[in-house]
Amino acid sequence: MSSIHLKSAWTHIRRSPFQALAASAVLTVTFFVVTIISVLVYSSSVTLKYFETRPQVIAFLKDDAKAEDISNLENKLENDSRIEGVSYISKEEALNIYKGATSDNPLLSELVSPSIFPASLEFTLSDLTHAEDVITELEADSVVDQVGFTATIGFGKESIRSVLDRLRTITLYIRIGGGAFAVLLVGTSLLVLLIIISLRITTRREEVEILDLIGATPGFIRSPIIIEALLYVFTGVLIGWVIALIMVLYATPSVISYFGEIPVLPKDTLSLFYIFGIILLSELILGFFLATFGSMVAVSRARRRK
Amino acid sequence: MLSVRNVTKSFGDVLALEDISFDIDEGEFIFLSGPSGAGKTTLIRLILRDLLPDKGEILLGDRDITKLSERDIPSLRKQIGVVFQDFKVLPERTLRENIEVALAVVGIPEEEWQSRVDHMLKLTGLSNRAEFFPSQLSGGELQRVSLARALSVNPKIILADEPTGNLDWETSDSLIDLFKAINKEGKTILMATHHKLIIEKLGNRVIELKEGKMVGDKGRKSGIKKGQGNQKKAKVVKSDKNPKS
Repeated sequence: MSSIHLKSAWTHIRRSPFQALAASAVLTVTFFVVTIISVLVYSSSVTLKYFETRPQVIAFLKDDAKAEDISNLENKLENDSRIEGVSYISKEEALNIYKGATSDNPLLSELVSPSIFPASLEFTLSDLTHAEDVITELEADSVVDQVGFTATIGFGKESIRSVLDRLRTITLYIRIGGGAFAVLLVGTSLLVLLIIISLRITTRREEVEILDLIGATPGFIRSPIIIEALLYVFTGVLIGWVIALIMVLYATPSVISYFGEIPVLPKDTLSLFYIFGIILLSELILGFFLATFGSMVAVSRARRRK
Repeated sequence: MLSVRNVTKSFGDVLALEDISFDIDEGEFIFLSGPSGAGKTTLIRLILRDLLPDKGEILLGDRDITKLSERDIPSLRKQIGVVFQDFKVLPERTLRENIEVALAVVGIPEEEWQSRVDHMLKLTGLSNRAEFFPSQLSGGELQRVSLARALSVNPKIILADEPTGNLDWETSDSLIDLFKAINKEGKTILMATHHKLIIEKLGNRVIELKEGKMVGDKGRKSGIKKGQGNQKKAKVVKSDKNPKS
């Protein structure tokens, strides 16, 4: 691209700094939000995947279940390809888990005895799609009293089914809501870009007319306008992306410690930068199309009005 | 090199040009004269393909420019140097940049710009104004910039639409001398003017228009050689008065 176009674009930016600032500011907000939404979509997706692929099932055993029957069931589960990590939790171990969970309130621990806790077999499923079948089979087993799904998110215990339902809903909302918001912002940015480029063309009408008369091709006339739009967009992308990156880097330790083993954000910085690199690349591509499309529409509108 | 054949153009009910025909040979310096509203500018705009005729054809070389697609118009205009009455220089660019833009438009490599611009500035006597903006130049200087820009791309023909229209006589005279020198170098020039003194001073071929009709083609002579239009035509119209006498 000829330096004359770059020089033209830079001159136009310098001569109307507030228009340039307005365009860059709107684009910065847009790409900041787009970056944050992208991170949220990533986090919700990995969280959902985490729970979908690591569901925990507890089969509570009847008090009168014989040790041999329990051992048979344990072996059967261990040989099942749908099931992973089978472990037997005795009544005493269950009491210890309970005591650990209520250690801040000793009164609660003293009031219970091992007899009220059922022994159980705990395991994870290789995939959630097997849950229905496995649970039905377990419920039919003579030694099993009842079957439960459990998972811990942050605090409290709740059924993994409801957790997954909630996660799916949240993920869906983030994808649809975030996507719609991002589209709205990108649309607004496109409009702002169109208005600013149109203003530029209006102020450059004489120049466009002269260039046209001395034989400049539409591409030649468009070039500085496209470069100017690209400069706004790339400025917006870079500033928005950097702000979002700084915020995420700042929040990552707290987020990781809050969510524990749930990989809401990558724990190593390199992976985080890898994700942000992909986001930046996508935004640059989106920005390129936004600038090119915006300036081409504005120029063709101006030429139609001629 | 340029043939205008039976060209008619109207704007609504107003007939701007009616059945205009003439030929221009390579190296000629021709005046297009007539009072305001005669159709001079319309004719120049038609040759530049800024307008399309209602009837007729305009051949530049062997190409009928009335049949060019929108896409091909820039390539036509790159072969034509234009000098306008209102200069049409780019106001936000220096004189040097104005010429550089024209060079960029025709695709001259950037390495050649400086030497070409310097040559044009020297030719038009503007070397010491290279970094000036148009707002810092006089009318005569602006017209020289316009001419330098037109010449810089080495066009086949130069169209000048009332180039002296906004200039005083002295400045006009020196500008016409410049055009004359350029014609001597072999450039074909078609200049629209209503300035009788200039026409008389040069004594070149004159195509006269009145109310859109061609009412005369004085001094037409075939067999014009490159750069000899001015001298030969001067003999043809020797009976014309000296403008300064």
